[in-house]
Amino acid sequence: MSDQVTQKVLSTMASVKHIPQERISLESTLQELGVDSLDTIIMLSELEKEFGISISDDEARSVRNVRDIVEGVRRLTNGAALNSAAAAESG
Amino acid sequence: MSERRVAITGLGVICALGHNTAEFWSALREGKPGIAPIQSVDTTKLRFQNGAEVRQYNPAEHFDPSHTDLLDRFAQFALIAAREAVRDSGIDLTPNLRENTAVICGSCVGGQCSQDAGFVELYRHDRPRVHPLVIPRTMANAGASHISMELGTTGPTFTISTACSSANHAIGQAFGMVRRGEVKLAITGGSEAPFSMGFLKAWEAMRVMSTDTCRPFCKDRRGMILGEGGAMLVLEPLEAAQARGAHIYAELVGLGMSSDAHHITQPSIEGPVRAMRAALNDAGIDPEQIGYINAHGTGTPSNDPTETRAIREVLGAQANRSAVSSTKSMHAHALGAAGALEAVATVLALHEGTLPPTANFTVPDPECDLDIIPNQARRTAVECALSNSFAFGGLNAVLAFRAYPN
Repeated sequence: MSDQVTQKVLSTMASVKHIPQERISLESTLQELGVDSLDTIIMLSELEKEFGISISDDEARSVRNVRDIVEGVRRLTNGAALNSAAAAESG
Repeated sequence: MSERRVAITGLGVICALGHNTAEFWSALREGKPGIAPIQSVDTTKLRFQNGAEVRQYNPAEHFDPSHTDLLDRFAQFALIAAREAVRDSGIDLTPNLRENTAVICGSCVGGQCSQDAGFVELYRHDRPRVHPLVIPRTMANAGASHISMELGTTGPTFTISTACSSANHAIGQAFGMVRRGEVKLAITGGSEAPFSMGFLKAWEAMRVMSTDTCRPFCKDRRGMILGEGGAMLVLEPLEAAQARGAHIYAELVGLGMSSDAHHITQPSIEGPVRAMRAALNDAGIDPEQIGYINAHGTGTPSNDPTETRAIREVLGAQANRSAVSSTKSMHAHALGAAGALEAVATVLALHEGTLPPTANFTVPDPECDLDIIPNQARRTAVECALSNSFAFGGLNAVLAFRAYPN
């Protein structure tokens, strides 16, 4: 189910930046993607809504690349809850 | 027509540091912050808990009940500060003077508490209507209008809303009108009352709020703290003030304005540089005459180093000699009132020969390598001072003041 987190982070970033998702990889830095501080807070807000999590300001400030975000979201989400949400969605 | 010199002859303040100018100055001089856990809003659903509210405030001590119904908290603060400033100036508002008096106020969000309360009725309580006075309480010009109505002044009266630069822009416009002889007197400043759940949540979402206190220019600064209050100044031609034997606190000598044209929230160096240079040019003073700068100094990661670099670029070698402090470390960031609180702090610094400190100072940040007057006020007579305001939206307004020998 970790791919679901990755996919959601990538699609959220693509949507916030209005760029094709294919342009974004786990190793992309926010700077490379042209993600500024305002884009970052919008993106994190979308992810908080999507996953029902709360990302602290300290965690938000430490984010440098896409992998940081994916790993941060994974840490904050409950795997089981995510699985059942995904199952409900696919069902 | 030759330009008039502009004297500041009256001051009025209400904020977390006190209910009048004397209390405000006493706290600034002692480096005592007014930052504490927020009481007017339930903070259990917020990521930050601290703010700088006006404590022990009872509207009934200032207004009769029917008057209070018309006044959002931000307009109450505007009126209380204006009353004190006019009383302090000792001016006799004759019918002729009233016609030639401007009231120019700054406010970022006007009576948003009244609007927020109205929306709670609609969206949470599912009521079919809001209080009929939500509009006149919410409108950003309410503070200026109520001052005009109470004092009977009928000259140019308006509110400027440029986020955190609102009050500096307002004071700057009033300054220009007095200097050019368009009015004989101006009551000017700003007021703000930002503590509503809706508005605090909006600030939380910006991720610029400190979870402890406001530590401008410190290595471990964590962001800004919101404050509330009002501050007003009375401006009049220096000659008129001298003629009536008024007490003159200082002279307002310059205004510099610029737009970054860069980013809606990220500060630039060039915009503040141009605003500070414009203020110096307008005042006809050299960097070497600037002994003190009341910084914008929000305590956010991005403002403070940017402002440091801008100050260094404008002052050059003088940046190693000028003292700089952020009084937001004590009264916090009162948005549209911030510039007015800081103008009063700067005027009193010149008048008293005491520079207010940057409170809550812990660890220096090499990127903010200015003499920031850590924690303790400094006895120093300075000739001229600047007060900086740099707003979201990249709108900058800088005021220049000169000490007046009484």
